[in-house]
Amino acid sequence: MADIVRKHAVSVEGQTVRERLQAMDDSAVVTAFLGGEERAFSELVTRYQTRLLNFIYRTIGDREKAEDLVQEVFIRVYRHLHRFDRSKKFSTWVYTIASNLAKNELRNRSRNPLVLFQTVQKNFQDEDRPLQFEDTTSRPDDMYRKRHLREIVEESVAKLPEHHRNVFILRELEGKSYEEIAEITECNLGTVKSRLNRARNSFAEIIAPYVD
Amino acid sequence: MDCREFCDQHLAFVDDTLAGIELVRMQRHIAECESCANHDAKIRRALLLFRNIPSIEPSRDFSNRLEARLKECQTEQLVHSQRNLRLGAFAAALASAIMLGYISTTLYSNTSAPQDLVMAPVVATIPDSEFMATSGPAIVTSVSAGLSIWPAAMFAEQVPVRFAHSQLELTNYTR
Repeated sequence: MADIVRKHAVSVEGQTVRERLQAMDDSAVVTAFLGGEERAFSELVTRYQTRLLNFIYRTIGDREKAEDLVQEVFIRVYRHLHRFDRSKKFSTWVYTIASNLAKNELRNRSRNPLVLFQTVQKNFQDEDRPLQFEDTTSRPDDMYRKRHLREIVEESVAKLPEHHRNVFILRELEGKSYEEIAEITECNLGTVKSRLNRARNSFAEIIAPYVD
Repeated sequence: MDCREFCDQHLAFVDDTLAGIELVRMQRHIAECESCANHDAKIRRALLLFRNIPSIEPSRDFSNRLEARLKECQTEQLVHSQRNLRLGAFAAALASAIMLGYISTTLYSNTSAPQDLVMAPVVATIPDSEFMATSGPAIVTSVSAGLSIWPAAMFAEQVPVRFAHSQLELTNYTR
């Protein structure tokens, strides 16, 4: 009986800690982790795994590799969190690591011309893709149209030059400010604005024939 | 507003970061210029498509794989810190041994029987006075002839000797 009570108390305490961590902002969660609260790292993973996966996947176009890179991001965060300058935004730091890893991946790939962005995307079979995003109540032809549209969008993004694509995804998908993008991509504000403007125009030009 | 200015401001226009007056000017231009209105619509439609692209989720084993890698990472860090600790302990022990050796050597040499100091004998000597070939009147001559002053300064060092010497000579003559 005493055991059950103790277990219940621990679970309630665990629940409380988790809830408390969920209510904190990134900076406080980082402080908690550095203070020895291991569960704080899980909270950071929960907050960023999907966002980083989407960001890296849209940048490199390979889902499996994107997952590997997201894991690498978290390993690096875990190893070097004590060195993180807490006067800055945690999300900017995480995205900088992710952006650099994605850039390295694209650079390595460009050295091996057999693996191309489009090839990787084509190899990603429809059966492997998550279907939960499609509305299951839709008619089959609607589902096909939506999936087809998504492919077109992904291919159009893939056609953008790497440095334009990076800025474009950070702004349009991740909703980062110009200043944050400048910090993540290590460019000045003017370059970010110019790249974003060009990326928007190029993307609109590429996709226009399919949507008109 | 012309079309060029419209294109320059379009980024801020789409992001809603334009000031009130600029925003009104842009809207007025769109109402007047069909080409710019089409351009604006094309960009907005494309962005709408991109922003609504379905998000992908991590695979089911993502968390397990990450957890395994984090455990590896923890083990590595632990091994690394233990190795550092061992190295530190070894270095501290070595430094202590060296320090103890040094202290004991110093103490031993201080407690040994004092040795007699042997110093070289001191012999008193009278420094030889340099004999000056030039006589007193010669110095006077050189100074009045406008020669440089340094020989005079050199001779000035000898002055007491020379005076004593001439006094001795005078004494000899008077005898």
